[in-house]
Amino acid sequence: MESQLQGQLLDSIRKRRMRFKVPGLMAILLCGATACVAADVPDQRPQTAAPRENGRSTYYWQSKSIGDTAQLLTLFCHSCRLGQEDGDVPLVAVLRDTVGDNNPENDRVTYVWLLTYARLNAGQRLLSAVPFFYWRVGSGSKSGKDTAPLMDLTAPMHPVLSEISRDLLQWTTLDPLTMPVRASSRAYRTNSNDYERLHLQEAIGYLRQAPYSDSSSELTHSELDTVIARLELRTRLLGGFASQRQAERFGAAAGFEQERIRSRNWELLRQCAERTGLLFEPLTLAGTSDQYAVLWLRLGASPPVSGVSLGPVWKLLNIKDPWEDERVRNWRGPVFMRALDESGSFAPDGFPGARQARLMPLAVYSLNYPKLPLLLVDFRDKLHVRRHEMTQRAINEITSGVIGISHFTNWYYYVAADLYDFVVSRHGAAMDTSARLDCYSQFRVELALDHSLNSDLRSDIQIRVNSLAINPLEGAVDREVQVAKTRYELLEAMSDGGKFLADRIDKERRAELADFGESKKARAAQTLLHDATFGVYTHRVKSDFANLAELERERRIQYQLNFLDSLAQAGPRPEVIYESSRIRASVNELSGLMAGVRSKPVRAHAATTLAEIQKNSADAELQSDCSFALAALKGNVGSARAGSGAMVAALPGGVTASEAAAAVK
Amino acid sequence: MKRLLAFFAVAGGLAVGACAQTSALNPAARRLVILKVDGLNADLLYRTMRERDPATGKSRLPWFSHIFGENGAEFENFYTRGISLSAPSWSMLDTGRHAIIRGNVEYDRYTGYVYDYLNFFPFYIGYARKREVDMPGVEVLDRAGIPLLIDRFQYPQVLQSFQLYQRGVSWVSLKHALERRFSSKFLFATVESTGAPTMDEVLAQQTEHDLLNGLKQSRILYLDFYTGDIDHEGHATNQPAALFFVMRRLDALAGRLWTAIQDSGLAAQTLFVAVSDHGMNNEPDVFSQSFSLPDLLNSPEGGGHHVLTNRHQLQEFKISGLDPLVRRVITPSTASLYLAGQSSQYPTAWLDLDGNERAAAHLRNSDLNKLHILLLQLSRSGLAPALRAAAAECVDETIGRHRSAWTRTASELDEELRALQEAIEQRKSTVAQEPRNRTATQQDRGEDKAARRQREELQSWERERAEYASYLAHLRALLAFRADRDQPFRGSITRLIAENSLGDNNTIRDLQHYIVGPAAGGLVLDASGKLDEARSFRFVDYFSLLVSQRVRNNPQAALSAQPIDFVAARLPDAGLTSESDACRHAYWLYGGPRKQLLILTGSEGQIAVRPVRDLSEDADGKIRASPLNWEAGLPLRLFEDSELNLPPGIGRSAWLSAWHTESEWMEAIHRCRYSNGVIGVIEELSPVEDNVPGPSGLAPLLLRYERRRRELVQPDFHVFAADHWNFNVRNFNPGGNHGAFFRISTHSIWLMAGAGVPHQRIDKPYDSLNFASTLLSLLGFAPPIPDRVVQIK
Repeated sequence: MESQLQGQLLDSIRKRRMRFKVPGLMAILLCGATACVAADVPDQRPQTAAPRENGRSTYYWQSKSIGDTAQLLTLFCHSCRLGQEDGDVPLVAVLRDTVGDNNPENDRVTYVWLLTYARLNAGQRLLSAVPFFYWRVGSGSKSGKDTAPLMDLTAPMHPVLSEISRDLLQWTTLDPLTMPVRASSRAYRTNSNDYERLHLQEAIGYLRQAPYSDSSSELTHSELDTVIARLELRTRLLGGFASQRQAERFGAAAGFEQERIRSRNWELLRQCAERTGLLFEPLTLAGTSDQYAVLWLRLGASPPVSGVSLGPVWKLLNIKDPWEDERVRNWRGPVFMRALDESGSFAPDGFPGARQARLMPLAVYSLNYPKLPLLLVDFRDKLHVRRHEMTQRAINEITSGVIGISHFTNWYYYVAADLYDFVVSRHGAAMDTSARLDCYSQFRVELALDHSLNSDLRSDIQIRVNSLAINPLEGAVDREVQVAKTRYELLEAMSDGGKFLADRIDKERRAELADFGESKKARAAQTLLHDATFGVYTHRVKSDFANLAELERERRIQYQLNFLDSLAQAGPRPEVIYESSRIRASVNELSGLMAGVRSKPVRAHAATTLAEIQKNSADAELQSDCSFALAALKGNVGSARAGSGAMVAALPGGVTASEAAAAVK
Repeated sequence: MKRLLAFFAVAGGLAVGACAQTSALNPAARRLVILKVDGLNADLLYRTMRERDPATGKSRLPWFSHIFGENGAEFENFYTRGISLSAPSWSMLDTGRHAIIRGNVEYDRYTGYVYDYLNFFPFYIGYARKREVDMPGVEVLDRAGIPLLIDRFQYPQVLQSFQLYQRGVSWVSLKHALERRFSSKFLFATVESTGAPTMDEVLAQQTEHDLLNGLKQSRILYLDFYTGDIDHEGHATNQPAALFFVMRRLDALAGRLWTAIQDSGLAAQTLFVAVSDHGMNNEPDVFSQSFSLPDLLNSPEGGGHHVLTNRHQLQEFKISGLDPLVRRVITPSTASLYLAGQSSQYPTAWLDLDGNERAAAHLRNSDLNKLHILLLQLSRSGLAPALRAAAAECVDETIGRHRSAWTRTASELDEELRALQEAIEQRKSTVAQEPRNRTATQQDRGEDKAARRQREELQSWERERAEYASYLAHLRALLAFRADRDQPFRGSITRLIAENSLGDNNTIRDLQHYIVGPAAGGLVLDASGKLDEARSFRFVDYFSLLVSQRVRNNPQAALSAQPIDFVAARLPDAGLTSESDACRHAYWLYGGPRKQLLILTGSEGQIAVRPVRDLSEDADGKIRASPLNWEAGLPLRLFEDSELNLPPGIGRSAWLSAWHTESEWMEAIHRCRYSNGVIGVIEELSPVEDNVPGPSGLAPLLLRYERRRRELVQPDFHVFAADHWNFNVRNFNPGGNHGAFFRISTHSIWLMAGAGVPHQRIDKPYDSLNFASTLLSLLGFAPPIPDRVVQIK
């Protein structure tokens, strides 16, 4: 029986593989042989997981100092699959500007690199402008020389403005031109946007698994949340305009929402499996748990006896009823032997009374799609998901590219289309293209990195996932992972002594210094000027040795202002939620630091915040410190403060401003 | 002169004495502010309060810690009494009385009327149309003559937020909330995609704003703020960080309220209270899994019932799931054995699944099923004459067996409906005399609401009269029915067996031998030519069926593959055998043929628990069971519970089987895994009519009618989920659930500060019944149950 099964399996794999190119034949045969063996070996099973926090141990940070004033922190996947071998894979790098000290208060995370992300070559760009061309060509760039960051966190609004400019260009200039121009320009924009989103999600996916701590070798929780939030916001229409605080809040909320979605989909899929007589199994991929799941069918089992129509459930699962499917009866695809207990549930190894059963994988789902489990792989129909993606894409290209239906003049079409989408999605269809792309993006890389999944199952899934690549800009994920290592080595070399990173950091610092204390209007004008000159002009202060000290001071001011603002906004009695001595230390430090600040907006900001704290507090000493700081801001004790600022900062906690001023006198 | 001095001295002494007496009588508290938190587990809150945040140097919940932990009273062991569900639990907290609302949804077995206590939308719409004035739960309490805590205050003295037991709607709050919702700030946040607040959040902001304003007005003496955020989050996720995030918001809110109280003119006389209705079974890293009772009851194994619920299953994946007014949803069974295609007329299983960890099931009376099946058989022209005669005889016998009970029901209900008709006529004339328009002063006194309340009650009476009259007509038709032994039945079954009605509750025997359809081989005669009922019908034993369920997809090792923990039902008082003579009522917990418990209550309120096996009810209604020694694995797991707190020197078996007072039981079991489950079962299953006092001056017939109405919503049995299982089919609650007696689900918060409440931690266990009595006592009102007042020293 088992040899028959092996034969069938080998046969089916052979038949499938013959469709591919000859150079892959040897590797495929090797996989096929492995699959045959695997079918015999029960312990080679898909890795299962009970719900738990995602395994952060799989990912770790590596820190590298850049000129003693910044750090390059790189997120590695521990013992992940790298081509045919296992190894530590660098995935995401972030630059943290520490200004050369150990004080986290003045640190800034400025750049994020996705090491698998490469700029596109001309050939890829050309192909992506061909309407209705939904194939990936080649495996993508081999070059690891591209060191452009995925995102500059210091200027999140720039991509938004660029995007708006491109939209305007499309609507006002390209769309009114001939159909070929409109269709190809739209195809190009769709592909390039999707490509960028694909990688943003990839980076987010990695960072969600990243560990965090207050140590200098890792990002802090708040920094990690903010980085994730900035990347998430990059995918939103005006997300780049979100303030730092909004971004932090958004980051935390987005993380919670992701967990809610994941657990909800986990349970939905489990319930659907239970109702339809299938077996549900969560997958662990590259250290992530409960983000994907497989549905299995026990071959030879009887269909469930139900008292309700299961049609809506199959619709929700987006697969055909396997109990009535001829393809299942004549199934020649992969079959796995698994231990099941008396009630037909998966049983652990050595479970008393467990029996081996033949299981057929039916489908793989992502549990990250916002509303329902998203079908990623249909084992019975390789092109099922791809067909759906291509159809939806083609409809969009026909309507907006070929026919030229516009959101402005033909709004009723889009209203009707949205209504249709709403109705269909209420019946369990996944209509959100962007969210689907996000799920696909995460799955493709996690699958590529994983080495815990049964190799046969993984290679089978990999083939099907590859078929989902409908963007000509997309590269093969295996290639991207390999190139990531090269790119990391280059970044590391640059951080060792190369001028590139140091120059970049210096420019950012000078821009930050120039920005500090500017009014909102001035900032907006400079941003517009930067974008209008395609990034050629950036407002910066001149290079100066004192810049670093100045920056350090301004960041501390910003930190203390943020801290006191958060207390002021938290409502009355700040001393209840924070130790009074710490608030007073902050007030005093701010007061001392403000002595050298000439910027009116910053002084006004500080005065408002201090007045609010003073008003809210019932602590006499804190009120007194606030009064003193306010008086100093107004210049009443300016001379005393000017001299005492540095001293106050150096004084031990708990020393009041009045005491400090007295000491100066 | 001396006399004069003596007179003044005496007079002065008397005056001082009088003053002293007055001050002793006058309570320190005059104003009450309650922060009502739905679904906050006390362990979670207290633990977080006591944790120190190294970043701030303060408690992780600094305001709760400051207000209550450092300055107020904390009830360490405060529990939901009864099942840990919002509607029953808030009803006890808000009234201080025993529960007469025992589920989040209840169904009238005779008329099919749905009491949907959690759905706000019909109430808002009814209120906007000036048809309704109170939430459904309040209407039920009013009809039962049970006042709310807020009823102790005059209308203008009350500022109540949006909640389950709500009187009226503050349109001003809603209007302002909508203004906030469409403010430029909100719209900008939406466009920025940075997480614009939901309508609930906006409404909460507005409610808080109103409450803070209310605190500035010394005329307002009762204010509350209800929040369901913790409950929602706890259902959605088990992540500690996400739950902490919501608790921090709650903490900040408590801080703002406390500060506003301190700034108000009545600061020294304001009692600030935080309370939750139940806990939440949240455990990090464990998803709560759902077991579908409708699927089971729809299936052939479960009887092929058409199942009625109050919400759509998987409502997010249905267009009809958008209907905010939904009350009745029927899921037809494709396996129905005799009611195919008649799901809208004859849904035979009605479920309250809103309990999540607990479900209540009403099944149509088994004998009505039998009659229905037999009438269908009798209507067949090809039925063999012998079978026809036997089936007709069986119909008559079945009706005959119920004749006396049904006749009594018909007669009593008839009397009650006549009394109701009189009340309707009186109310009509009262309503007709009401002025159409009210002055602003009258409106400020709430007179317009009172008048609307009268009109709304009148409408309810008229509806009820029509519905019960219809049921009565069917009952009478059935009583008058004689089956023809020769000719096929040509009448209409719907004239005899009421649609959307379940009839009387099933007995234990019925539920153990429940008729779900004709046997596969059709009707069969026995040797004597009578209908062989055992072979003619298909039966289901629901106790054994439910407890034997196993789930195939159970990927979490922490969960049992057996989703149902036990089934609970009340035993008939008349059926109790001599062995349990001392007991007044008995309640049965079924965890398997050999895993059963009897909870007995005595006439003085004392309680005993006895393990039994193979309990059954015979045809005469007598309950028989074999005694069992105490062992591990019985329902409520008391015997093996390491937290069982018994007096020294007494064995577990002896203590558990002996009679004890309720407070002794509470002391002994409250820290156990099932906390106060023994008391909870009694609260949930005890005869509800005992708890309906009726409004003062209510005519005896109408009081009997009100008690009947409450009795008619009692289910046949309650199903309790195993740990981390739930029965939710509407959507998904993977984060956690509540409803059962698990300590994590019942352990609730009760904290008080201000108005002279001294700082203390109270370890003695209390439950929902203590809450309102204690507060009212502190405010100088007469408590509803005086011996439930906690003395705060």
